[in-house]
Amino acid sequence: MTKVISLSEAVDRYVPNGVGLLTVGGMHLHNNPMALIREVIRQNRRITRLLTSPCGALNAELLIAAGLVDEIATSYVGFEHIGLAPSFRRSVESGSIKVLECDEAYITHGLYAGAGGLPFVALPKGIEFTDIPKVNSENYSFTTDPFTGETVPVGAPLKPDVALLHAYQADEHGNAVVAGAHFVDRYMALASKTVILQVEEIVPTDEISKHPQGTTIPGFLVHGVVEAPGGCYPTASHGAYNFDDQAIAEYIGMAKDDAGTKQYVKQFVTDLNEAQYLHNASERIEKLRYGRGPLAVALSERKA
Amino acid sequence: MTAKTHNGELTFSRSELMAVELSKRLRNDDVTVMGTASAIPQIACRLAQLTHAPDLYSIAGGTCSVNPHLGPVVPSCGDYDLLRADTSLSLNDVVLLEGRADVLTVFFAGGLQVDAYGNCNLVAVGDYAHPALRGPGTVGLPFLSRVGRVLIYTQSHNPRTFVERVDFLSGPGFLQGPAEWKASGLPGDGPQLVVTPLCTMGFDSETLRMRLETVHPGVDVEQVRAATGFDLIIPQSVPTTPEPSAEQLSLLRALDTHGLLKGK
Repeated sequence: MTKVISLSEAVDRYVPNGVGLLTVGGMHLHNNPMALIREVIRQNRRITRLLTSPCGALNAELLIAAGLVDEIATSYVGFEHIGLAPSFRRSVESGSIKVLECDEAYITHGLYAGAGGLPFVALPKGIEFTDIPKVNSENYSFTTDPFTGETVPVGAPLKPDVALLHAYQADEHGNAVVAGAHFVDRYMALASKTVILQVEEIVPTDEISKHPQGTTIPGFLVHGVVEAPGGCYPTASHGAYNFDDQAIAEYIGMAKDDAGTKQYVKQFVTDLNEAQYLHNASERIEKLRYGRGPLAVALSERKA
Repeated sequence: MTAKTHNGELTFSRSELMAVELSKRLRNDDVTVMGTASAIPQIACRLAQLTHAPDLYSIAGGTCSVNPHLGPVVPSCGDYDLLRADTSLSLNDVVLLEGRADVLTVFFAGGLQVDAYGNCNLVAVGDYAHPALRGPGTVGLPFLSRVGRVLIYTQSHNPRTFVERVDFLSGPGFLQGPAEWKASGLPGDGPQLVVTPLCTMGFDSETLRMRLETVHPGVDVEQVRAATGFDLIIPQSVPTTPEPSAEQLSLLRALDTHGLLKGK
């Protein structure tokens, strides 16, 4: 059965308004599923709680800019060397969004616990010397290690209702190839109840099945596959094109106050459908295409 | 070759000097890990591999590639180009190794605030519930408590960054000082070095407070004291940070073809 659906249908069918825990894949300015995220904004879906990878970027920031997020569980939202994320910053400073303060280890191990049905997960010692567990008792706690009697930190399992993820290729069943870095996207797929993939291209199953070890997301975990070439822009799509630091800087510039932020969301998201957005961005995307990076080499060898 | 032009201007940038200073602290048997916005430590590790530490391993904490070849150095730790490397781990693998405390020997750190005991804060300045400045978040800084040596670098040296006590502790240094540090039983040696655009600093072995080590060429001790928001330990004699050698600069610039460190 084919799981290929259109972008608007994917969000309409699988992202309910008021979704409980929504997670968005990618890390820093890489592999952010921006086509799906822009569509969530166009369809005005409220998100009760958003979960990022250890480093969220435009994936979280744009949803916050659109005013759709009530709470965010994260260990980072920002633009790395380019700057802070203005809407995240402003929303937290003004108290209009609640943060569940996390660290990288908890997000990673918490997804593992969610994927495996573990009731909680023991965390490496050290977090107790930070202020993080003091401000987030919903995700962090302490218990007695039954083997040593020591007090140890533990984390609650992370079980997203919906995951929005990007992959380089998939077949119509959702068997997907992640090019470049996997970040924690695979664990998001393993831990979530519903998984929606956007991909650069949909390829035939006999093409995918030539390389089962490289096809790291199995179709049985996936509910919808959306073909969205250019869909990570202005973030990078590993294997296809790099991130656009000028476009990010333009966003940061416009989003420095509420009016500019509203204007950005209108001008770059809600006033356009995805095809129009991509048409406007196509020249930039072509300029940002990777040369003979690691995946280009691997793919050419595959064809040879 | 002198490191000055005929006008007396330095022929290297502050960031290049910082990379060279970090590089000098790395050892041949180190396994290093770095995170967000890590062009300077990326270069420091590669420079060490090309000079005194050929067997050093370095992990780019975003892509989790091991020994990225870096030509050119890239600004983002998640960059696709970092995957041109010797081998690659998954992020889950690296997070596991960060927890076990006997594999990774060096962690590069930084913060919106760094305090007198080397504790770092990437979360919030001011009251946590109503922050004056909300930072991006702590990512992997809690792992500073699990690693052998912590090397801190920051591009801003001013009294807002260098404070007596961090408002929110998100990356453990020597905690509240010797008593708490000793009681913690933490496995590593704690913070060992702080490199800024003005100077290098270490930590006093008795009090575990930050101590000035060297001032960079063209910087004087009073300038560092004024730029530091706590009572920095200043020894009677403070040497000048050695200028990078012609060889170091030439190796570094061959890696940094995008000029990420140039003029900064």
